[in-house]
Amino acid sequence: MSNSNNHKLLIQPDRSSYPQPDENGKMQLDLDSGKYVKVWHGPNHPGVTGNMSLELTLCGDEVVEAKTHVGYLHRGFEKIFERRTWMQCFPTVVRMCVPEPDSNEYNLAAAMEELSDIEVPEYAQWMRTLILEMARITNLLRLLPANGGTMGLGLGVQWGVYLRDLILDRFEELTGARIYHMYIIPGGVRGKMPEGFKERLINNLNAIDDFLVRFKRLVIDNAVYKKRAIGTGYIDPSWVDKFGIVGPNARAAGYNRDVRKDNPYLVYDQLDFEPYIDKEAASDIYSRTWVRFMDLKYGVEMIRQILDKMPKDGEILGKIPNALNWKIPTGQTYVRSESSRGEYGFFAVADGSEYPRRINLRGPSYTHAIALLEKLLVNANISDVSAIMVSLATCPPEIER
Amino acid sequence: MNQEFKTSDEILQFAIGREQESVDLYTGLSETARNPEMKKVFAQFANEERGHKKRLQNIQSSGQFKFTPKEVQDIKVGDYLVDVEPHPGMSYQEALIVAMKKEKTAFKLYSNLAAKVSNQLLRSLFDSLAQEESRHKLRFELEYDEVVLKDN
Amino acid sequence: MSAPSWFPWLPVHLRSNDNFEEMSMKIKDIITPFSAWSNIVKKPVTVKDPFSERPGADRYRGFHKNDVEACIGCGSCEAVCENQAIDLVPVDGIETKKGDSGLRPLVDYGRCCWCALCVDICTTGSLTMSNEYTWISDDPEDFRFIPGVDKKPWDNSEKGWTNPGYSLYNPDRVEMEEIEPDARITSFIEIVKGYSKEQAEKEADRCVSCGICVASCPAHMDIPGYIKAIRDGDLEKGLQLLYDTNPLPEICGRVCTHRCEEVCSVGVKGDALAIRWLKRYIADNVPFEDYKRILGLDSLPEAKKHIAIIGAGPSGISAAYYLRTMGYRVTIFEAKEHPGGATMYGIPKYRLPMDMLEKEIGLLEEMGVQFQFNTMIGREVKFDELYAAYDAVFMGIGFEKPYLIAIEGEEGPGSIQAIDFLREVNEGKKPELGHHVAVIGGGNVAMDAARVSRRLGAEVTVLYRRRIVDMPSDPEEIEGCEQEGIHIEPQTIPTRIIKDKTGKVTGIEYLMAEMVDDPKGRRPKPVPIEGSENVLEVSTVIGAIGQEGYYDFLGTDWLEKLKIERGRVVTNEHRQTSIERLFAGGDSVNKTADAISAIADGHTAARGIDALLNKNN
Repeated sequence: MSNSNNHKLLIQPDRSSYPQPDENGKMQLDLDSGKYVKVWHGPNHPGVTGNMSLELTLCGDEVVEAKTHVGYLHRGFEKIFERRTWMQCFPTVVRMCVPEPDSNEYNLAAAMEELSDIEVPEYAQWMRTLILEMARITNLLRLLPANGGTMGLGLGVQWGVYLRDLILDRFEELTGARIYHMYIIPGGVRGKMPEGFKERLINNLNAIDDFLVRFKRLVIDNAVYKKRAIGTGYIDPSWVDKFGIVGPNARAAGYNRDVRKDNPYLVYDQLDFEPYIDKEAASDIYSRTWVRFMDLKYGVEMIRQILDKMPKDGEILGKIPNALNWKIPTGQTYVRSESSRGEYGFFAVADGSEYPRRINLRGPSYTHAIALLEKLLVNANISDVSAIMVSLATCPPEIER
Repeated sequence: MNQEFKTSDEILQFAIGREQESVDLYTGLSETARNPEMKKVFAQFANEERGHKKRLQNIQSSGQFKFTPKEVQDIKVGDYLVDVEPHPGMSYQEALIVAMKKEKTAFKLYSNLAAKVSNQLLRSLFDSLAQEESRHKLRFELEYDEVVLKDN
Repeated sequence: MSAPSWFPWLPVHLRSNDNFEEMSMKIKDIITPFSAWSNIVKKPVTVKDPFSERPGADRYRGFHKNDVEACIGCGSCEAVCENQAIDLVPVDGIETKKGDSGLRPLVDYGRCCWCALCVDICTTGSLTMSNEYTWISDDPEDFRFIPGVDKKPWDNSEKGWTNPGYSLYNPDRVEMEEIEPDARITSFIEIVKGYSKEQAEKEADRCVSCGICVASCPAHMDIPGYIKAIRDGDLEKGLQLLYDTNPLPEICGRVCTHRCEEVCSVGVKGDALAIRWLKRYIADNVPFEDYKRILGLDSLPEAKKHIAIIGAGPSGISAAYYLRTMGYRVTIFEAKEHPGGATMYGIPKYRLPMDMLEKEIGLLEEMGVQFQFNTMIGREVKFDELYAAYDAVFMGIGFEKPYLIAIEGEEGPGSIQAIDFLREVNEGKKPELGHHVAVIGGGNVAMDAARVSRRLGAEVTVLYRRRIVDMPSDPEEIEGCEQEGIHIEPQTIPTRIIKDKTGKVTGIEYLMAEMVDDPKGRRPKPVPIEGSENVLEVSTVIGAIGQEGYYDFLGTDWLEKLKIERGRVVTNEHRQTSIERLFAGGDSVNKTADAISAIADGHTAARGIDALLNKNN
């Protein structure tokens, strides 16, 4: 197996003092030699790079072995669901991913609707699409500048958080809450657009346009950022299928992978958009930052398009059974949607009762931040570990549920 | 009624006499009624009439009475019902009709007398008695309305 | 030459020359980040001080408010809450009453997740949320509070989350298919067709299982329980639940006065659950052959004690069923030819087909209950003998004697009493009515008489003293009358039945009435308006103003001992009369005078008899 990128190596490093693999490819680490240091990265919670733990073995300032440890955030949601009625799962699922709860809401609703054969009114479908895109830009406003933040450039983060707050204001107006929106209720949505909402949202979108320009100057064009991000955290495109890499991380590796296009849901087939793909498959932190930058840019465009195309008014809730007695016929389904981090999937099993038999979440971080990260961190500099994690958009809550 | 009343005492004496007649009537009915339940009903009616008589006697002995003209509701339940001749096998419905009719007659009597006399004091005494009787009638009429005419 | 696969990362300077050139630093890249300094001259976007108010959005899901007057304590909020943050608790000053559990939700903010599903499902719309953001208290106990009762600063806030204008349960009743009015009035075919499985399950799905109905049912049937059984498709369980409190579900499923539906919490904003039709669905859809097995009646204990029951009406049948399940021997004495009492002889067949009665009576016979028809106490058997021969006696004799209208002309042919008329029709006779019938009264008996007369081909006018809203009959009966072309004339007081020289009824004279308030605050009283006489040309007058009891069969000695008030037998909470081993129930005891109250009386009396006889042991 080769590194498979076309980069020709300029110089072969002298790695004689580094640990060598045995014939099985397993690294030979003699910890008693005194050449190595074990460092625990996490599970304290400095943003998303925490609350999961990395067991790093360092040789000098370079990581020679990395193990990922999860379990610090386990709340047993999937078990909790089995003891909640289907409707009671609706306010519970949001907690599986704090920064972008709406994908959970949508997936649960879509699974319940599919299994009970319920039609969602058109207006509600547009509102769902709108809120999912709003959630995407909200999360990207946090994720994108964090790419600079992990390398010490916190200013972008502050700008992003301010703009994110503006969108949270819109969420508050529309859904009644800032973080856990609980808006996509199974069967429809929980409200229509308030008076003047559209105008205020467009103002916020304009502010994001301005932010993108400033952010590009501040981080993306930044010589130091380039110096550190280009080539760091390289994901070989051949790993994409092997590791199940999805979403922006796959697109940075040159793969055209977006559930909204591959398997259109809601009204995405009526929208005109092309997800950004790094044609050159640079697939490093810089490339992934750039993909996220473009995602945010396109996301803003997409919301404008939705506001433009969506019906003015309509029904918000389809014909659903009594929320207290909602039995779902025996069956199972896998529903997926494109979150800001990639394909977000729910596997739901119904046994004909009021309670789910099983709801399983397959979040993108599950592969990105466990198996892939272990591989990606080897030979990384200790100072780049957080940057690599953030560039993968690691979200520990969705790993552990 | 061709009686002439000169004093309030006479009037009261007359009225007390009529209440006593009522007491006698109901007591008689109570004794002759076949149904034990009706016996109790009539005994209760007789007791009520005794109470009325007692009130009049009190007025007579104290020489004082207070009269504030006040419209007593007339819901006219009994007005169109056929007369019932008291008999031993009376039902509760018939007993109530007898009582309503009787109070109505008394009310009419005192109203007529009040219209005839010129003495202010006597008139107000008659009015007071008429009002008293109409109140008794209303009591029976409400009972009839609630019990017999429940579904009507 | 390539790097080993476990070296995914390679420093930039190790990459190809081309890439290195392309990515190489430009002087511009060093300078542009400093453009951020321009923010120094911009206005800050943050809040300047911590004291400025920033109100929540109009629909913000803040703290709970509850309009405790509108709230009926149905507990749907409690049921939907995923965190069990809501408890329904008793509140000082709020009494349990008809249609109100008297409980109010207590919210625990240690558990609440502010999802507002409680607000969305609230059956009355009383529960809402303010748009308040913060609430500070030193006392942790404060955060468990009863909204609307424990006064909070946000109680009067107008903004905040309310129901978004949808319903999380279906507010519309599944329509019951009925025979068209035109087809109805030509025969006595049953009007209501009954629910199909799909319809019944859809209707049962609307139930929020609050159980407020249970308190309003005289028999306290487990209504949410059997509705759940329908949802679960478990009709056997449903039948067991029905028979736990009511051995005549076929009858109640058709003609019950369904006070449960009047208090149904779903009915506050939408249509009440069709509880009666759901009960009927269960009773109609379990095969009769399986009843004994399902109800566990195959081998009943046989005790020596023997109970006599006077009257095979609903209360008597109910008492017989429960006494038999307790192992007593039971004999029912019935003066008429058939069992069923008022349900058999009073209720027209388009409401209650005969075979329903036969089915339920059949069950009793299979259980070993003895029937003695055409046996009237006081005629064939003396009460003395009965009381001496049996361990206890239950009396469910009903109200057989009609109240007369007591107006001029009521005597003689052409003026008949509704219960006599209905009995004759149910016995298969066809009384001669003439072209136009006037029915006097506004209860269910009056409606039955009117609709039966219509089926016999007459024009019908109902004369009622009060307003239509005051009519004691079921609303659907009034509706049925209107559909069938029966004219209801409210606020009319009959004064005279007019007859011609031959004594034939030719008309009825009545006065219009005005409604005046009752001095004691009861329902308003109609008062005739002098001079408003009207005459309606009729050929028959049917009186249906009410009935009373008739106890002479007991004989004077027993009557002396039996406490009767206003025509009703007085009983204690066990339906025991003033005579020790005589129990009583049904219309002659309870004021509500309907089948379900009679059934409840029978059940209560059965337990009372059991307690009495066991005590004596």
